[in-house]
Amino acid sequence: MIFTNYLVCFFLVVLGIYCMVSQKNLFKIAVGMGLVDYGVNLLIVSVGFHDGGTAPIFNISELTRSSFFVDPIPQALTLTSIVIGACTTAMTLCLIIMLYKQYGTLQSDEIRRLRG
Amino acid sequence: MYDFMYHFPVLAIMVLFLGAFIASLVGRRNAVIRNAVVLIAMVTSLVLILSLVKPILLEGQTITYWLSNWEPVGDWAIGISLEVDALSLFFALIVVVAVFVSGVYSFFYMDRDDSLVNYYTLFSMLSGSVLGLVLSGDLFNMFVMIEIMTFTAVALTAFRNTYEGALEGAFKYLVVGSLGSTSVLIGIALIYSQMHTLNLAQLAAMLPGYDSPVTIIAFAFLFVGFGSKAFLFPFHPLAADAHAVAPASISLMISGVLTKCGVYGIIRLAYTVYQNVDVNVMNALKSVCNPMNANFVQYFITGVGVVTMFICVTMAFNQHNFKRLLAFHSISQVGYVITVIGLGSALGLSAGLFHAMNHTIFKGLLFLTAGAVQHATGSLDLDELGGLSKKMPGTCALFLIGAASISGLPPFNGFASKWMIYQAAFQKAGETGNFFFVVVCVAALITSVLTLASFIKVAQSVFFGQLNPKFAKTREVSLGMRIPMWILAILCVVTGLFPDKVQQWLLAPATSAAMNAAGYIDAAMGQGYAASFSIPSFQPQSIFLSGAWQPVMWLLLLVSVTLAVCIVALLGSDDKAPAISETNTDTPADPKYESFFSGEASVYSQVGGSDLFWGFKHNWRHYFSFMHNWHSGVVNDYTLYGAAAIAVALVLCVIFL
Repeated sequence: MIFTNYLVCFFLVVLGIYCMVSQKNLFKIAVGMGLVDYGVNLLIVSVGFHDGGTAPIFNISELTRSSFFVDPIPQALTLTSIVIGACTTAMTLCLIIMLYKQYGTLQSDEIRRLRG
Repeated sequence: MYDFMYHFPVLAIMVLFLGAFIASLVGRRNAVIRNAVVLIAMVTSLVLILSLVKPILLEGQTITYWLSNWEPVGDWAIGISLEVDALSLFFALIVVVAVFVSGVYSFFYMDRDDSLVNYYTLFSMLSGSVLGLVLSGDLFNMFVMIEIMTFTAVALTAFRNTYEGALEGAFKYLVVGSLGSTSVLIGIALIYSQMHTLNLAQLAAMLPGYDSPVTIIAFAFLFVGFGSKAFLFPFHPLAADAHAVAPASISLMISGVLTKCGVYGIIRLAYTVYQNVDVNVMNALKSVCNPMNANFVQYFITGVGVVTMFICVTMAFNQHNFKRLLAFHSISQVGYVITVIGLGSALGLSAGLFHAMNHTIFKGLLFLTAGAVQHATGSLDLDELGGLSKKMPGTCALFLIGAASISGLPPFNGFASKWMIYQAAFQKAGETGNFFFVVVCVAALITSVLTLASFIKVAQSVFFGQLNPKFAKTREVSLGMRIPMWILAILCVVTGLFPDKVQQWLLAPATSAAMNAAGYIDAAMGQGYAASFSIPSFQPQSIFLSGAWQPVMWLLLLVSVTLAVCIVALLGSDDKAPAISETNTDTPADPKYESFFSGEASVYSQVGGSDLFWGFKHNWRHYFSFMHNWHSGVVNDYTLYGAAAIAVALVLCVIFL
């Protein structure tokens, strides 16, 4: 089960990078960036997953040696990274709107005034 | 050290973020209050960091600050920490000084822009995140700071969004930069899966003895991620695009401060956390058992540095935009830093740190002069500008100081650090007898010569030669813009004249802190923690120089030569030098032969064929046209280069480690 997670997150990251490299449409590049983000988030959550563990919500009194729960730190990291991913997407879309207004195109190979 | 000083690092970071918040809150109506808030935030963090110089750099203490007092329980560091040793403080000093200079400069430089409240909010956030990165003792915290840094830098690059190409440069920076950030995050996830901690000190204790392919792959990811933040090859096109279109004060921040974060990350990673650059006697013994292990990372880092510095300096020859040219030189100098960091000797590391510091100073100065030229004339086109030395003598003098520094002319600071770099590469070649390090030394020398050649071209095209009539009404920039530049120029001269003092006060503590992994671990986790993981204790390496030099003598020589030139110029008659301005068009002489191997004359170009090095470029035309096409400007291609860099680093690590 957890092995499937790793496979899927590898697949998502590779698909995202492929999308960023091969697609000329700026929105598709943004989608690719999102895919890479989701893949990495899945990786972090999977790292902290223990099969059969409960949610890591305890009072100090309930916590015993035998309590078995998933690692809470990767979940906190994932939350942070999801927020950052949302910011990236928002900023990319902003820039794409502005670029479309200025250049009148969404094709990445026509937006190359800075080169050489 | 007083107890309250333990709070200084976190206060220095918080005051900048708080400044960003308050500036956006109160600054929308009142510009004076807004500027005052930003200035107070910058000065406070500057003072707080400076006050830590004595206990940390001179007395060698380390501050460990656990946020919300979450100290390690049972030897597991779960809380987030700030850990400030001499290496962190060295980079923090670079950051706060650069932030102060850039902030003061932008008060005057940005006076014609609107919605400045957004500018200062982003600027303060950028400063705070960079300071947070170098002072952090937690890997994930470093990632968060990297992301804040990238966002604010992208937003500031696009700040003048009506400027030609600003949005385009920002977009490329965002897309390819996010690939670098993702690479850091994957590295962090892989490390956490094996180590179950993200505290740098605890990782430094546990990683070297932990033999797993996963952590090695994580090193490859982290190295590429931090390398992308330092704009190493093949991420350098991003820097060129972003620098050329950003406001000059932000170019200073990107080149002087953001690249240093990547450099800091690589030093911390290779020397303290993984300790895979052999610096200690014990590690050298370990590397005898497994020779590939220690040496490979050295070759890899040095190789990346050499490629970066050479490709970027040749790319600079092709440029016609003042700031884009400076951007390529900036990355070329970062290549020097990375090259010597890879050598793994104490001399190499202190040379690298010295050059990193000098790079911030002279490159900042050059970007600010470019900004002054842009502010005064409204143009950055090298083919259009010219003869500004008469209109802007102060800026011209400042530019010449910066150009002499970056080209490594004595007695300026660029020479002092490059001299150490040559010696470090030379000694390494002598010790190992490896031809690779001979090539490194020669490449460093050639790059320096090419840098000088390129800056002669810039000086000729912008400040000397004939004045374009379009810029006849140009006036010198205001005093408020010149004072920050003079601060940097004075720093250029002072650090160049007294390199032994810099070495003693700044570089030696920072170098030994970087190599003292055991000390770093014990400061955070308690005495004896490093020994329990059999991390060897630190044996200081002595630094000796193969040759000595007398900077004061060079200064006297420079002064006497300058005086002689002035006297000859004053006494000599003007007959032999015809006025270059309007009369030049009347003279029948063919301008073709006026400059070196030149092509045909073009309108208002300062040199024939638009280029002083026409002959050089003609002979290398295949290389230059290949490089020109390679930097295609399409964001997909740059992403491909970045993905290829990750793939290559992974494959090499899997094969060799």
